Amino acid sequence: MASTKSATAGPVLERIPHDANRTFSTPSKRINDGDDLTFFLSSTAYADLMTWLLQLNRSMFPTKDTDGKVQHSSLSSPPKYSKAVQSLRSLVSDLKTLIEKAPPDTGPRRFGNVAFRTWFEFFEDSADGLLDAHLAPILGKAGNERVAVKDELKVYLLGSFGSAQRLDYGTGHELSFLAFLGCLWKLNAFEDGEERAIVMGVVQPYIELIRHLVLTYTLEPAGSHGVWGLDDHSFIPYIFGSAQYGPAISPLDSVPTEGSVRPSPSPSKVADKATVADYKDTNMYFSAVQFIYDVKRGPFWEHSPVLYDISGIKDGWGKINKGMLKMWAAEVLGKFPVVQHFPFGSLFKWEADPEAVRKGASMHAQQQPVARSMDVPAPPAASSVGGTKAPWAKAGGAGTMPQMQAASGVPTMRAPWAGASRAARQATGSGRVAVTRGPAPSGMPQTAAPWASNQRVDPAAANMTSTSAPWARKNDQ
Amino acid sequence: MSDLDKAIAQLRACRPIPENQVRELCYKARELLIEEGNVVSVDAPVTICGDIHGQFHDLMELFRVGGDVPETNYLFMGDFVDRGFYSLESFLLLLCLKVRYPDRITLIRGNHESRQITTVYGFYDECLRKYGSANVWRYCCEVFDYLALGALVMGASTELDASDAPLADPTSQSTLPSDADDLEIEILNSAGQIINRFMRARNNTSQDLSQLSNPPSSPSQQTPSRNGAPGTGASGASRGSGGNNGGAVLCVHGGLSPLIDSIDKIRLLDRKQEVPHEGAMCDLLWSDPDEIDGWGLSPRGAGFLFGADIVKCFNHKNDLSLICRAHQLVMEGFKEMFDSTIVTVWSAPNYCYRCGNVAAILELGEDGSNGGYAPRSNGDVGRSNVVLAERMEQRQGPGRRYRVFEAAPQDSRGMPAKKPVADYFL
Repeated sequence: MASTKSATAGPVLERIPHDANRTFSTPSKRINDGDDLTFFLSSTAYADLMTWLLQLNRSMFPTKDTDGKVQHSSLSSPPKYSKAVQSLRSLVSDLKTLIEKAPPDTGPRRFGNVAFRTWFEFFEDSADGLLDAHLAPILGKAGNERVAVKDELKVYLLGSFGSAQRLDYGTGHELSFLAFLGCLWKLNAFEDGEERAIVMGVVQPYIELIRHLVLTYTLEPAGSHGVWGLDDHSFIPYIFGSAQYGPAISPLDSVPTEGSVRPSPSPSKVADKATVADYKDTNMYFSAVQFIYDVKRGPFWEHSPVLYDISGIKDGWGKINKGMLKMWAAEVLGKFPVVQHFPFGSLFKWEADPEAVRKGASMHAQQQPVARSMDVPAPPAASSVGGTKAPWAKAGGAGTMPQMQAASGVPTMRAPWAGASRAARQATGSGRVAVTRGPAPSGMPQTAAPWASNQRVDPAAANMTSTSAPWARKNDQ
Repeated sequence: MSDLDKAIAQLRACRPIPENQVRELCYKARELLIEEGNVVSVDAPVTICGDIHGQFHDLMELFRVGGDVPETNYLFMGDFVDRGFYSLESFLLLLCLKVRYPDRITLIRGNHESRQITTVYGFYDECLRKYGSANVWRYCCEVFDYLALGALVMGASTELDASDAPLADPTSQSTLPSDADDLEIEILNSAGQIINRFMRARNNTSQDLSQLSNPPSSPSQQTPSRNGAPGTGASGASRGSGGNNGGAVLCVHGGLSPLIDSIDKIRLLDRKQEVPHEGAMCDLLWSDPDEIDGWGLSPRGAGFLFGADIVKCFNHKNDLSLICRAHQLVMEGFKEMFDSTIVTVWSAPNYCYRCGNVAAILELGEDGSNGGYAPRSNGDVGRSNVVLAERMEQRQGPGRRYRVFEAAPQDSRGMPAKKPVADYFL
């Protein structure tokens, strides 16, 4: 039910048929413990997110004409942008101009720049107006449900640009932006075949805006795996960028899992700074690696050992693409610290996917709150389950994923178990995550504590006179 | 040359030692650490260091700037592992030095010295990558459980002998204090040149310099009413030695806990376990000072935020002149807060290869005024009948020499062979 076949061999996210009586709901947090994570892995939301990513990924491969001529996939020759794509480009561009209104604070600071909170306030204040201005056609179709649609979309948009409270950004925020675009697809904002335009025309500018925000406000990588992460902040540019150099495909071909288009730079060129600069403007993978060279000092193999090792892969960009997809499923969708803040509404639904192969909890899920013993040092691992079969999926389902850390890596540290207790439950209980000033209510990447989404804790309320920490009792409301 | 010395030499060259040697080393280290209390007593002089996070080459730079072991006494406040490329080499070297020179180096536990944290933040992956199995990670985690939770530095001098080092900026000659008698803080660069000096504040002059990172100022002093050994709650009546009117310095990775109002309460904890998700032991490793009143919830999801009132009250009650902690990146390497009652020391320069921060270590000198004898007591709880706010005079802080250093030069490191990729890519 999550995907329908269309003119291509790949999965396509199902669109919502136009229905005047359809109701929408403001997305809210559902994942509070390890069992919830297990449920998520076989939910329709999970299947939809996977489908949407695979759909976008497929569109980024070079294509073969009917006469066999290869059309390369380059950022310098994007497809024609529709009105919808142009509107979203304007939205991203408007958010960029807000940076000028919130110059970085020059005073003493620890790391992240507090002026990001000012930017975020501007963003929140203008979110309704931006959606009205740029998504008029979609919202217009919603009729009486206009406000509800907007609220549903807004939660994902607000969750896409980092945490104002923690001054960080990570793959959970990136996931929120993907979901925002996925909602628009479901709402028929885009035409069939527009996927590459969405990636090159909207996702890439979004990633560039994120880099701008990261540099301007020295946003910390949410989650912090240091050198053992793929990248400090981002993941999807490595997926789409590797697809760009994969073998060319015809509409009915399945997505390649090895090989490269010719000509394309060898993956080993990633370790060569000069070559990276040559390809940064045409390829999303090299654009991301260039950003690493821009912000890091020291040997590449040392500060980015995961990318360095991947650059030794001999089976081409198709192989790298396949690995990136697997890694994203395991390290982003499959990791409690990342997805625990993902909100579910009427479009990305918190409901069991009947097509999903129901599986037992992964080791990673078992390690999450409510798991019995935290002393068992079993490494985190996540299985990729869910309705949509990934291209590499074998009969018998996915095995446990190997461990390795996904995106992120710096300053502050959060407890991986944070977020499972009271405040989270309260948020769910209220049926609605308050959209207040401060951190985005959704899409937070890492294990921030649930109460982190309340602006600042009232000192009086937080004042503890004696022995018991507020969350010490796990089960009360 | 003993096996241990060979291992030290090999690790200094940044080469991991074989698995069986790691096992043996960890076994010896555990035997040693099990004898230590939760709060280790350390005598000044000592050099206090913050987070390392596997930045091996920067750890070597730290030893170059601060002096080598065993010539210099060191106290490392945890977070040896995770995030950096060389957590393994860094931690094993420190552990070897601990086993080889147990009285010269003290290691206390950081929040990253934990099974759960290291599986998420890198050290586990690093061990797998470097050994092909998780055995070494397991041995190291067993050592983590035995690391002390804090250290109490005794006998640190309130006076700081001005170093006769050259000035980093000769034109600042006229602006820097030259009268060395009242020196409280001296800041040196990695070349051993003086960057800045601060005199002890006198006569209640309100110097609002807290919150600067190169700040200082202990506020004015009145005569302390008690002379007992600091950190013990003992009174002058029982001890009587008045040689050093500075209090002790408590070193802990994160900070304070609402469950801990005296150092003796730390001593009562059962520490030999994985770091719990909550409770006193967790808080000591996770909390952060912040500009708030009282206690606050931490955005980290573990530990608490605590304000100036909490620190001043705790220091007073426990006869501390200073709390020294790590746990938070500071761009300038160190940051004194709350009228210099607490300092953050950060020892990982250009953290994660991109933060652009400098690192610092803190040297506390030995108090020679009492024949080198630091008063001691076994800590009689409850002697400090503190009436807060009424008489919260502050202990005179120790003289503090910060050495600030930058990331080690990178050019000499050759490119290694590419390792097999993670299973995702097979």
